Amino acid sequence: MTGELRVGFDVGGTFTDGVLMRGKDVVVKAKSLTTQDVTAGIVQALDALLNKSRVNPAEVAMVSLGTTHTTNALIERRNLNKVGIFRLGAPATTAIPPLTGWPEDLKQAIGGVKLVHVIRGGSEYDGRDIVPLDKQAIAEACRKMKGKVDSVAVTGVFSPIISDHEEQAAEIVQEVLGDDIHITLSHRIATISLLERENSAILNASVITVMQRAVNSLKTAVSERGIKAPLFIVQNDGSVMSVDYAVDYPIFTVASGPAASVRGSVYLSGIEDGVVVDIGGTSTDVAYIVKGFPRESSITVTIGGVKTNIRCPDLLSIALGGGTIVKHQGEKVSALGPESVGYNLVRLGKSFGGPLLTVHDTAVALGKLDRKLEVFKTDFVTHPEKVNALPRKLVDNAWAAVKATIEEAIDKMKTTVEPVPAIFIGGGAMVVPKEGIAGVSKVLCPDHFEVGGAVGTTIAEIGAYAEGVVDLEKEDRDNAIARVTEQAKDNAKTAGAIRETVEVIDVEEIPFTYMPGKREKVRIRVKGKIL
Amino acid sequence: MKGQRVSSRDILQEWGTKNFRVIDKKAISEITLGASILATGGGGDPEIGLLWTYKVLDEGKEILMVDPMEIPDEIQTASTACLGAALVLTEKPPSGGVLNLAIRRLEQYLERPIQATIPIECGGVNSPVAYAAAGELGVPVIDVDGMNRAFPELQMTSWVTHGVHSSPTVSVDNRKNITVIDTGDDDVLAETLARRVAMAYGGISWIATYPLTGRQVRETSILNSQSIAWAAGHAVMCARQEHLDPIAELLKSLKKERDVEGFRVFRGKIVDIRREFGSETNKGFTLGQVIMGGIDEYKGQTASLDFQNEWLNLRVDGEVLCLPPDLIAILDSETGEPIRTDIMKYGYRGTIVLIPAHERMRTPKGIEMFGPRHFGYDLDYVPVETLNG
Repeated sequence: MTGELRVGFDVGGTFTDGVLMRGKDVVVKAKSLTTQDVTAGIVQALDALLNKSRVNPAEVAMVSLGTTHTTNALIERRNLNKVGIFRLGAPATTAIPPLTGWPEDLKQAIGGVKLVHVIRGGSEYDGRDIVPLDKQAIAEACRKMKGKVDSVAVTGVFSPIISDHEEQAAEIVQEVLGDDIHITLSHRIATISLLERENSAILNASVITVMQRAVNSLKTAVSERGIKAPLFIVQNDGSVMSVDYAVDYPIFTVASGPAASVRGSVYLSGIEDGVVVDIGGTSTDVAYIVKGFPRESSITVTIGGVKTNIRCPDLLSIALGGGTIVKHQGEKVSALGPESVGYNLVRLGKSFGGPLLTVHDTAVALGKLDRKLEVFKTDFVTHPEKVNALPRKLVDNAWAAVKATIEEAIDKMKTTVEPVPAIFIGGGAMVVPKEGIAGVSKVLCPDHFEVGGAVGTTIAEIGAYAEGVVDLEKEDRDNAIARVTEQAKDNAKTAGAIRETVEVIDVEEIPFTYMPGKREKVRIRVKGKIL
Repeated sequence: MKGQRVSSRDILQEWGTKNFRVIDKKAISEITLGASILATGGGGDPEIGLLWTYKVLDEGKEILMVDPMEIPDEIQTASTACLGAALVLTEKPPSGGVLNLAIRRLEQYLERPIQATIPIECGGVNSPVAYAAAGELGVPVIDVDGMNRAFPELQMTSWVTHGVHSSPTVSVDNRKNITVIDTGDDDVLAETLARRVAMAYGGISWIATYPLTGRQVRETSILNSQSIAWAAGHAVMCARQEHLDPIAELLKSLKKERDVEGFRVFRGKIVDIRREFGSETNKGFTLGQVIMGGIDEYKGQTASLDFQNEWLNLRVDGEVLCLPPDLIAILDSETGEPIRTDIMKYGYRGTIVLIPAHERMRTPKGIEMFGPRHFGYDLDYVPVETLNG
C-alpha cells in the first residue's frame, strides 16, 4: 500500500484536521473549524486537501475519519432514537431493572421506562437456559411498541457466551416490527457484566440514526468530489472499521479521537511499544501502547452519565500543559496548576508580557522553545527578554517540577521497570523537558504530530476481539486459546480485514473466583490489514 | 408463618428500642466503601448491591440499623448473603425478593419468625446486599457481623469459633429452588454443601444462614462491625472532598472506633501477578501471588502478597509483616479506593495498610480455623502489631 493515496480526518472539539498521505508521507495537511453538524467541517477540510494537493480524486484509495458524532449526540441528548429495551433474564435480575441509575433527561430522550421489557429467558454460565425464552411475551411487547420506537436493544444474561436467546429474540422483533427496525444485540457490543453491557447496547441503539445520517452525507460528499474509495471510521481501540459496519455499531466510536491520536504518533514515530505523552495547553494524556495499539482500560467507562463496559483506551489525564500556571513562593515552586491560562497564554503569560508564570514561560526562559509550528497561525512571537527578569533558581525549580510530574505520569502507565521509548506529541510537547526523563529509553517528537490524529486514521488496520468461558479441567489451555483466537479472526474478517493478515495483539485471562474448578474467561484481541 | 409482616419501626417499638440509625443512600455508600476496605482485597464488586439498595430505598422502604445492646435476648435473627462466583453475579443480578424467600423458608424450618438480619462479612457484595434484603423484609439490621473483614468460606466466622453454627442454612436461587442444609455442628461440611448447591444453581446462591438468638448475637459476633465500616467509609469520603490524606483519615477512624492502630507499611506498584490453578491447596479459589515494587520512600523494596480471593499475607523484602486473620488493604493513595484481588492489574499503584483483626477473630480457635497454618503456611500466628511494633 506504499504508493496509495489515503485521506484522513480527525474531528476535534475546536478544529477538524485533515491529511492526505502517500504511504508514510504526509502530502498535504489542512485544518477547518469543527461545525455543529460535524460533516460540514470535514467537507471543508476535504476540499482544502484536494485543492492544495491537486491530486486526482479517483486515485484516493481510502478515506477515514475519527469522529465525535455519536459522543456529541449522547452528551447533548440530541437526535437520539426512541429505543425499545428487552432484557432476557427474568426471573433473575429483576432486583435491578434496565435504566437504573440513568440520568433522567437521557432516559426521557430515548423513550423512558415504558419501553422497557424484562422477559423470562437468558442463560447460565455453562450454557443451560435459566428458563426457556418467553417468545410470546416478546411478540406482545413488540406489538405494543409498534410505531413508538426507532430501534431495539436486546440484552440476554450470559449472551457473550451463549447468544441463542438474543438471536431468537431478534427474529421475533424483526417479524413483528419489520425489517427496517434496527436491532442491537448486546453480545456484539460488549462483554460480561450485565448492567454495563445492557447500558452499552441501549446507548448504541440510541445513536443509530445519528451515525446513519453522518455516514450518508459523507458518502455523498466524497462521491460528489470524484472519490471512489471506501470509507472507514476509527473505533475505540484505534483500528478502523468500514462505515457500513459502523452504522450498526456507532458506540464503538466514542473514543475515536484519542485513539486516533495515539495511533498517529505510533505511525509517525515507528515505535510499536512504549508510552505516548500528548501534551496540550491545559492537560496531558498519557497512553501505553502495545504492538501499536493503545492499551485498553479495564474499568467502566461513563458515557453521557451512564456506566458502560465499552472498551476504550486506558488514558491517564493530568492537569499539566503549556499554559499551566506555575505557583511559587519566591524561588520555591509550591504547585503546578491545576489551573491553566489556556487560550489566554498570549495575554497572561510572562513571556508575552502578562502577569502569570506558566510552563510555557519557563521553557522560553531556558531557551528551550526552538521551533514554531506552521499550523499554529499566530503572529505572536515570544520575548525571552521579558522573562529574563525571573530568578534563574525559580525557573530551574519549575522545570524540574514539570519533569517530575511527567515522569510520575509515565511511570504510572508503565507495566515494567525496564525503560521504554516515549513519544511526545501535542502543542505543549515543545515546552516540556525531554532530556533525562526517568524510566524512558528515548524521547521522540515526530514531525507532523500536530495532525497526528488525522494521520492515525489512515492506518489501514482493522481490530476485532472474541471471548469465551473455558473450563481448564475439560479443555487444554492452548486449545482453548486457539479456539477463541479463531473466533476473533473470523470477527476481524467480518469487520473488513483480510483474514490471512490477522494477528493476535493481546490475550487476557480472568479466572472465575469463588467457584470450584478451573474456569476462566479468555478474551483475545486481533488486528488485520484492509489493503 | 402466621401473622402479618410488620415494619422495622414496629419491631423496634415492640422491643422498646429508640436507639437506631436510619440508612439512606449516603449511609449505604459509606458503609459499602468502608466494608470494601476492610474486605482485605476480597468481597466482590459493590455495584450490584448498591444499586439494589438504592432501588429498595427509592421504593420508599426504610432501612434501620440497631445496636446489638438494644436487642432482646430471645429474638430470632439470621444472616443473609450471596454465596458463589463473583463474576457470575455481575452477569446475573438477583431477582427482587430472593433473600426474602430464603428468610421465609428458614422461618418455616425453625418455626420462629426472624426479626432482624445480620450481614455475614464486610465486603462489596455482602454488605449492601444484607441492607437491601432487610429493607425488602421490613426488619432491622443489627450492627454486627461475623468477621469485620471478608473470608472465602462460610465457616470462617467469629460465630463458629464461639460455638454457634451456620446450620440450618437455606440456599435459594432466582427460580425459587430451595435447599435446606442442616449439618448440625459440622460447619465445614455445610460450606462444602452450600458451595456445591451454588454451582448447581448456576454459580450463585442466596442464603439465609446462622440463625442466632439475640443473646448469641451479642456473645459471638463482631460487635459494631457496621459502625466501624461506616466510619471508615465516611472518613475516606470526607478526605476525598476536603483533599486530605484518605489513609491518615482511615487510620484515625479505626483508632476512634476500635481503639486499634493500623499500619501504613508500603507504597508501590504491582510489577508481577502470578495466578495459580490447581494446587492441592486450591479449594476452588483464586490463588496466587502479587509482587509490588516500592516507590517514594519505599523505593528499592519489594513487597509480596499471597492471595486466596482475599490477601493472605504480606512480606516486604522477605520479612513477614502480616498474617491471617489480620487485615491487609491495598488502597489507592489519592482516593483511598481499595484494590481487589479480582480486578488488580499490572501497574496498579497503592499504599498497603495493615489492620489488626478484631479480638473475637483472634481466639485460639480462630487462629486454628483461619490462621496461617490453615492457609498452608508453616508459621505461627504473630499479631500484626507485634510484627510492626
